Amino acid sequence: MIGFLARRLAGMVAVLLAISLLTFLIFQVIPGGDPAVRMAGRLATPAQVQDVRRAWGFDRPVYDQYLTTMGKVLDGTVVSYSQQINVEDEIVRSLPPTISLALGAGVIWLFFGVLFGVLSAITAGRLLDRSLTVVALVGISTPAFFLGALLLYYFGYRLELLPLGGYVPLTRDPWGWFTHMLMPWLALSVAFIGVYARVLRSNVLDTMSEDYVRTARAKGLSERRVLVRHVLRNSLIPIVSLWGLDFAAVVGGGAIVIESVFDLHGVGQYAAESIARLDVPPVLVVTLLVACAVVVLGAVVDILYAALDPRIRLAR
Amino acid sequence: MTPPPPGMKSPPAAIKPPPAGGSPWRLAWRRLARSRATLAFGGLFLAVVMLCLLAPVYAREIAHTGPNDNHITETVKVGGKTLEVVSPTGVPIGPTWHSRFFLGADANGRDVAVRLLYGGRNSLEVGALATLITMLLAVLIGVLAGYFRGVTDGVLSRLLDVIWAFPPILLGVALGVALAVGGLDLGVVKLHSGSLLLPALIVGVVFVPYVARPLRGQVLSLRRREFIDAARVQGHGHMRILASELLPNLTSTIVVFIPLMLANAILLEAGLSYLGAGVQDPNPSWGTMLAEGIRLTPGAIHLVLVPGLMLVAAVLGVNVFGDGMRDALDARA
Amino acid sequence: MIKRSRSSGWLSPFLAIVLAALLVAVFSACGSSSNSSSSTTNASDAGGVTASSPTLTVLMGTAPDSLDPALGASTQSYEATWLAYTGLVTYTHASGAAGAELIPGLATALPTISADGKTYTFVLRKGLLYSNGQAVKASDFAYAIERAIKLGWGNKQFLTGYIVGAEAFDEGKAHSISGIKANDATGGITVKLTAPFGPFLNVLAFPAAGLVPASTPMKPLPNDPPAGVGPYMITHVVPNQSFDMAGNPHWAAEAIAGIPGGHSNIKVNIVSNNQSAAEQVLNNSADVFDWNDTVPGTLLGQVHAQASSRYAQEPTVSTEFFFLNTQAKPFSSQLAREAVNYALDRRALSRLDGGQLTPACYLLPIGMPGHPNGPCPYGDPSAAPNTTKAKELITQSGMAGTSVDVWSEPHPPHKEYADYYASVLNAIGLKATVKIVAAAQYPATIGNIKNVNPQTGWIAFSQDFPNPVDFYQLLDAESISPTENHNLSQVNDPHIQSELASLSPVPASKLNSVVPRWQALDEYTAQKAYIAVLGYDNVPKFTSERVDFGALVFHPVYGNDWSTLQLK
Repeated sequence: MIGFLARRLAGMVAVLLAISLLTFLIFQVIPGGDPAVRMAGRLATPAQVQDVRRAWGFDRPVYDQYLTTMGKVLDGTVVSYSQQINVEDEIVRSLPPTISLALGAGVIWLFFGVLFGVLSAITAGRLLDRSLTVVALVGISTPAFFLGALLLYYFGYRLELLPLGGYVPLTRDPWGWFTHMLMPWLALSVAFIGVYARVLRSNVLDTMSEDYVRTARAKGLSERRVLVRHVLRNSLIPIVSLWGLDFAAVVGGGAIVIESVFDLHGVGQYAAESIARLDVPPVLVVTLLVACAVVVLGAVVDILYAALDPRIRLAR
Repeated sequence: MTPPPPGMKSPPAAIKPPPAGGSPWRLAWRRLARSRATLAFGGLFLAVVMLCLLAPVYAREIAHTGPNDNHITETVKVGGKTLEVVSPTGVPIGPTWHSRFFLGADANGRDVAVRLLYGGRNSLEVGALATLITMLLAVLIGVLAGYFRGVTDGVLSRLLDVIWAFPPILLGVALGVALAVGGLDLGVVKLHSGSLLLPALIVGVVFVPYVARPLRGQVLSLRRREFIDAARVQGHGHMRILASELLPNLTSTIVVFIPLMLANAILLEAGLSYLGAGVQDPNPSWGTMLAEGIRLTPGAIHLVLVPGLMLVAAVLGVNVFGDGMRDALDARA
Repeated sequence: MIKRSRSSGWLSPFLAIVLAALLVAVFSACGSSSNSSSSTTNASDAGGVTASSPTLTVLMGTAPDSLDPALGASTQSYEATWLAYTGLVTYTHASGAAGAELIPGLATALPTISADGKTYTFVLRKGLLYSNGQAVKASDFAYAIERAIKLGWGNKQFLTGYIVGAEAFDEGKAHSISGIKANDATGGITVKLTAPFGPFLNVLAFPAAGLVPASTPMKPLPNDPPAGVGPYMITHVVPNQSFDMAGNPHWAAEAIAGIPGGHSNIKVNIVSNNQSAAEQVLNNSADVFDWNDTVPGTLLGQVHAQASSRYAQEPTVSTEFFFLNTQAKPFSSQLAREAVNYALDRRALSRLDGGQLTPACYLLPIGMPGHPNGPCPYGDPSAAPNTTKAKELITQSGMAGTSVDVWSEPHPPHKEYADYYASVLNAIGLKATVKIVAAAQYPATIGNIKNVNPQTGWIAFSQDFPNPVDFYQLLDAESISPTENHNLSQVNDPHIQSELASLSPVPASKLNSVVPRWQALDEYTAQKAYIAVLGYDNVPKFTSERVDFGALVFHPVYGNDWSTLQLK
């Protein structure tokens, strides 16, 4: 078991290393991406650009730059090229909108996903099931940013019911926080609700045809008891871990587009703006953070599964 | 946006003894043909594809303009009235429901309906290419990892981990920005920056782990079965076993994944194009049209509704059809 | 069935802990951190902004590149820093041509300039205090210049290129700038130049040349800007989100003539969505729409209907043009270049800019001394284009069918300009393809003669100071460089060079006398069609109902003058 854990840990570190290297190299390859030219100012002479290069170490070999930057990332002193502010501070500052978005949307999609899924399953084949399935399918097929733009237009611009984007901290103005987050939450949740409703529906239907459920029914338990006690509990288990992984994905990447559409100034938007500015340090740090979250959660799931299922452990 | 990981689709049970009535494939086809909804939506998707393929005909015969022709200072006659295609303050005309500018104009005075169809060709082409790339790579990696296990599996699984953990939008945007100007030049392969293969490659690679992992899992469990051991005992080589014993059992899984991946590829391409990292100028695509609509002319909502609704229609068609196909192949549902 | 997700109920408690931790993070990080150490004493001096003055909100679409004056070089940052960091000289706080006049700032008077134009002598006012209470010394000027150079101010070439010893200091060969001499006892400051440079006084009016205490750390301070002398100080900086302008408690006592004390506290919020920002100003929930942003065309109708008394279009001294590479086909041919000028419909381009472009053909914009008055050589830019003539010229030039890459960047409407431009080039007989490059890559890409050598593309230039020398750097053969080129048309014209050589050293005070020569030079440039001008930018001056619109000065260099921002 220890050996297995150690191997998984080593694997995780290797993955993170590979990701940081890949991100760094992508930006090296970009033509015209030399940050020194931008940093030296509008009408800089070649000599001035060269000075900037030397001051920031852009003239050193790639591996040297990589190691220096990674070192600064790990001890929290890395600074962005374009604005020369501490990247990690900026990320912490940008966390509240991203987390508000991800958590709020996560709660909404979990609740409605499960609700629609269960309703669909118990009325399988009938009108309610069919309508919910249609809704779910349309939800899955709609890009979140399209939905977000439409919500902004109709509720923000035409009806003036909700604000036109931006973020208000919860501690400053709870109601404002809520009205600003409502449309982003909806836009982000719709697709997930569709996904979860259908997963749950199929899980519930599968579980309901399992032997032990038939046994429970035969024992005389009420349908409701059967549903809640046996069926739901077992159907929800995969949902929970799925939620964890999806949540990590949203915090890291999925939220980028929604944050841009609604101008939330979260981590995702910061990363997107940094890419547009070809500012490597923030992109590097955000990518690593997200990858970390995904890899850690994934490893935890795998480790627990391996602990329970000896076959998988031996097979590796 | 990053489409949600399609975890909800679990591949159907692959191994079933052929039922008395015929091969599983024929049974599945019969079930499929009976479901009207599935066929209807499959038809919807095909209709969208046909329309887009007819783009040049529409442009020539009906709209009398190409997708990139600017008509900024021109006027158009609609029902007797003469209207400006683009107002002096830059507001483009909405749908005229006539042959010219049927769905309106964009900021550059270009015909939205024409661009929609040409854009559809690009979006669908990228989606299809990406799906092909995903399936090829995923089958290769999943099968090799699951069959050979050991070091091969270790390396390939780590590769999948790297792709999986890399935030797809960030990867897509970073690659898109990196390759936008110069294209890709690997000596052997040279792609200019306007090539559709670039966004297809990015989208295709992003989805490889989604398919490769379940396939690997399936191969792992198949591998332990008796018929594989029997084949080895008979002295069959690895390649023969892979081709004749393993792959046929994976076919239904693979087939089920295809429409799923196609839907996700089209959605991811739209998201990447929205962020400027997908299809490059001057090629239109539904994603770039959405981006222009959302960013450039807030208030000219037809520029958002038109490409968006078309996108939803196409993806919905694929999703419902794919659903129906999965149900048809999975005897239990 | 093989499920993708595999786990047991063991995972739930783990996730619960993770969630709890995240919630803690949300609430602790909520309310956002503000890092500033402003010591606002309750200065109740008359004339000036106090804590009890009303607070007005400004919405900016793009955050200032830096609020540290030694680094900030964007118009957004100047808008704030010029009111907090006064230099030896500064601009008059007025709109139009009056605003371009320089007046003494922290110096007692405009400097005496030696006959050869290379020595500037100032005397510092006595008894000045920084916003943190420290006394202002003459040697602080030298420190401010050193700081701007060391930290890499975006326009530092104006300092290192002209002040004696500045380049050596920049390269680390000297510990101070030999060309600057300051005497703290007398307050005397002397600046020696390597060669006479007409706009040098304008350079000293930049906030980067604004005095700061010598105790200011020699490192970037964007989130906690240094102390300075001015009616305002910058406080509560939250990068990419907001910052405040509060009254400088020591300002009223300085009583420097010509610089208003200000009326209101200012809160600046960064709102990237122009639509949202315009809406907020329209319905009076915010006070000022930043002039660097564009009011969306679809909203203009409403603005004109509901807010005509608080909206105006102000001209800026900036030019948008397509450069035409004279060293590569097809624009090595004069006829091809003329064809482009004939074929472009500037009215169409103006529509793409929401109607905010004034069509034109001359490089020097309206408001810049030297802007010619004569008619344009290749057709009236406000009228329909002459496509037939353009086609003829292309055929004549022998360049028909040449492939042309049209470069631009994605920010609207620059991409739209390129799309339109390409369709025009295709219509007159060339084969144009649009190449859009991320904004951050754009200058480096089009400035790269070695690897890219761009044939044509969009570029805009706005004035650093009101002297035509600024714009003519774009056509100066000496600006040509293989990888950081600024002379994008790669013009090497002996007539331009000789004129520049004699016109550049003319000091600001004598500029009016050489205006006719600048006009002649600009007409020459237009006639040679080295570039294809689109026009000059107009920007919105747009406020809420409660702001005194008429009192708000729109400064020709810095835009909205916040020291004149006040309630009715």
